[in-house]
Amino acid sequence: MSSRRGRITDEEINELISKLQALLPESSRSRSASRSSASKLLKETCSYIKSLHREVDDLSDRLSELMSTMDNNSPQAEIIRSLLR
Amino acid sequence: MRGPSNNTMMAFKRGFLRSLLLSLQSSKATMSLEERKRAVKSSADVAMATARGVAGARWPQAILSSSSSSSPSRMQAKVKRCKNIVRRCCHKRRRDGNNGTSFFARTALNRSSTEVARRLVKKRTKVLRRMIPGGDLLDEISLLHEAMDYVVHLHAEVDVLRLVSKALQRSTTSGLFHAF
Repeated sequence: MSSRRGRITDEEINELISKLQALLPESSRSRSASRSSASKLLKETCSYIKSLHREVDDLSDRLSELMSTMDNNSPQAEIIRSLLR
Repeated sequence: MRGPSNNTMMAFKRGFLRSLLLSLQSSKATMSLEERKRAVKSSADVAMATARGVAGARWPQAILSSSSSSSPSRMQAKVKRCKNIVRRCCHKRRRDGNNGTSFFARTALNRSSTEVARRLVKKRTKVLRRMIPGGDLLDEISLLHEAMDYVVHLHAEVDVLRLVSKALQRSTTSGLFHAF
């Protein structure tokens, strides 16, 4: 990763920026001038990662709760077993 | 620069699901809800890192290393932090032939860079580092690549977790109906 030395062209930077921007949710994409977009991009990336983390946490909690109501012979356990086959 | 293909992501999702279910299955049958929540979260983390593999990104290894080590003593953590600081200083000295201005500040994006903008970028880069496992050790460009890779895989993780929850939920509900 850090072996990427040598001149980074403006073009490469812009490509990187726009690729990252393309990953972020639609609503936060702005067509405005690139003036502020470095820090804006960082902010949006951080908040997107944060919201993804939160979603993972919520879903994991939901999964835990669902699993707690299972016992080994329930149909749910069978679903899990079948998913593994 | 190419992002992971659809096939790669499908393979990732499958691998993630498999690792996750395997570790969930092998978890203790009787746990408190809190214990189980922690177990599920760490299983998901490890499954995500395992399914991604360590090639081409740093965050999977960072997750695996931190989950395999038992909670480090405060002394060990301190030593690690010192090492990181030294490493970062060395990195900075090596790659900064530009009087200490960050990569972002030098780019066309920030040509109008006021001191405020530069500080903001610096602050936010720091925040981003914290959000990405292993982000502390990366230079800014690698950090961006890493962020993209991490985001893509987080998204896929969410997709799979949603599917599994839905599947379980549906069966739980129908199970309840059958009981009546």
